[in-house]
Amino acid sequence: MAQIKLQNIAHSYNPDATDSKYALKPFDMTWVDGGRYAILGPSGCGKSTMLNIMSGIVKPSEGRLLFDGDDVTDKSTSERNIAQVFQFPVIYGTMTVHDNLAFPLVCRGYDKSFIESKVNEVAEALSLEGLLSQSAKKLTADQKQLISLGRGLVRDNVAAVLMDEPLTVIDPDLKFRLRRKLKEINQKYKSTLIYVTHDQNEAMTFAENIIVMDDGEIVQIGSPAELFERPKTTFVGYFIGAPAMNLFDCDAVGSNAIKFGNVEISTKTDLSAIKNKRLKLGIRSEYLQLVKSAGKNTIHANIESVDDWGNHKLITANFEGSNIKIKVKREVEVPTEKIYLKFPAQNCCVYENEMLIS
Amino acid sequence: MRIFYVTLKYTAVTLWSMFIIAPFLWALSTSFKDFNSVTGGATYIPWVDFEPTLEGWRVLLRSPAQGGVNIVEPYLNSIFVTCMASFVSIVLGTLAAYALSRFTFKAGFIKNDDITFFFISQRIMPPVVLAIPFFIMLGKLGLLDTLLGLVMVYVVLLMPIAVWIMVDFFNKVPIEIDETALIDGCNPYQAFFKVVLPNSIPGMVVAGLFCMIFGWTDFFFAFILTFTEVQLLPVAIVSLNSSITPWWSLSAAALVSVAPLVVVAFIVERYLSKGNLSGALK
Repeated sequence: MAQIKLQNIAHSYNPDATDSKYALKPFDMTWVDGGRYAILGPSGCGKSTMLNIMSGIVKPSEGRLLFDGDDVTDKSTSERNIAQVFQFPVIYGTMTVHDNLAFPLVCRGYDKSFIESKVNEVAEALSLEGLLSQSAKKLTADQKQLISLGRGLVRDNVAAVLMDEPLTVIDPDLKFRLRRKLKEINQKYKSTLIYVTHDQNEAMTFAENIIVMDDGEIVQIGSPAELFERPKTTFVGYFIGAPAMNLFDCDAVGSNAIKFGNVEISTKTDLSAIKNKRLKLGIRSEYLQLVKSAGKNTIHANIESVDDWGNHKLITANFEGSNIKIKVKREVEVPTEKIYLKFPAQNCCVYENEMLIS
Repeated sequence: MRIFYVTLKYTAVTLWSMFIIAPFLWALSTSFKDFNSVTGGATYIPWVDFEPTLEGWRVLLRSPAQGGVNIVEPYLNSIFVTCMASFVSIVLGTLAAYALSRFTFKAGFIKNDDITFFFISQRIMPPVVLAIPFFIMLGKLGLLDTLLGLVMVYVVLLMPIAVWIMVDFFNKVPIEIDETALIDGCNPYQAFFKVVLPNSIPGMVVAGLFCMIFGWTDFFFAFILTFTEVQLLPVAIVSLNSSITPWWSLSAAALVSVAPLVVVAFIVERYLSKGNLSGALK
């Protein structure tokens, strides 16, 4: 267990080429010991590269990596004492389940009785006791993935367990149970868990802190609630939440008001220092309110469609060319043609050049 | 409808099997014939069409002084040369293939794929082009007409096959296996020997089978690079021939020479169906 610090880390897969491009742009980051993190972002945003840099599979082209203050940038993977679980289960097909779990300890030369007790402990935690003597090859995909995970947990002094979309191959019900198990394991072993995913639900339910990445950059770090309520960029607003955050072009008209179409909407954001008058207004579909009549902060929009999602209704409306999504409870009566929509000031986020104005 | 398909399938399999087995049965029947039975028109069934004799088989075990051709020594030579050359080719080929599959090599415009192709390109040349350089080189080293010389030449010929097959195999073994082994605490050598290699046995078996088939059946180099001291089986069989072709002993020798490959193929086939080729993922 250790605090992991990334100092000015950056990586390019072709650093010498003339068209060299960063897979990971320079950044600093500290992973608190025992924390439970999720890295969220679209495919190719640099998530896996970041993990591979920490585990030592990839050597960063720039920057230093510190484990509890020790520089490990040039150390080999085996010296770093990191556990990593990949997207697809990796098992040693020629060994039994027991030998798979014992392998990391055997490689490090622990004595037999210690290995036995650790293997049994981890097998119990992952409900694999009954399978120990079986050949690992014959197991199902999720059992195999549990073994991959078990190999990470069997060493009790790992600096961190890195997981690269580990639940992709697992069916939804088991996914849910495994995530709970991971949380339990995090609490029991106090090991830092870093979890890469492109599934926001997975990230939201698993992590205390979510790191949102895009195009080789960390866009925002925060709790699930912060990411939902105050997305720092329009990308985060768009990427987190289903449906994505509503984003509209608007103009600043006062110290805290904007004009959306011909309607003035007041917000809690201080806009007095804003030079650029072209802004973007962001609001979650959950926060838009259906009201009976016109009033302050209210627009009159045309309904385009209403979809029943079982537990809620999703209304798609149009206001002066902009599409608006509104999520309402299932029992709410939705008018057929036009609706009044209220923008609560405290839920409005205003963006200048795609960045949140705070 | 199902019965129709099953019937069709078995008919096709039976016809194909007959097509494959017929030459063997023909050779088997001929090996028990004598001069008269061979030259007196087509005959098929022993005791009915012709009187079987073991003469064709006995010739193979008799020494030349007794009017036979002893194939025991060439047989052992062939087994030794084929096994040694295949073994060395598989060991070197597997190591080369692993490097070509996992590490990036670059010398100017030459990259990994080019190097792999360079290995196999030796097999594109007609053997006769290689024969003269081999002859001269072995001559200079004093290895003409020796088992060691033959082993060396066969390694050169078989290794490209091993490299070609194993590169393809390693490319299908996910790199995460190596990475996991490193993370679990292996150094790169341990990762290869403890984890990757045990997973690659099916590939090595296939490569080994190919090497053995090519090594065992080669006549050309065995003929050119040996004279009197060392003789390999294909050369010995051909030397059975004389002004009156002894079809009976040629047939017997041909069957004997095919036998080891059939045995190897049976063992390997069983092994392959048991250990699947898919490696460790999924």
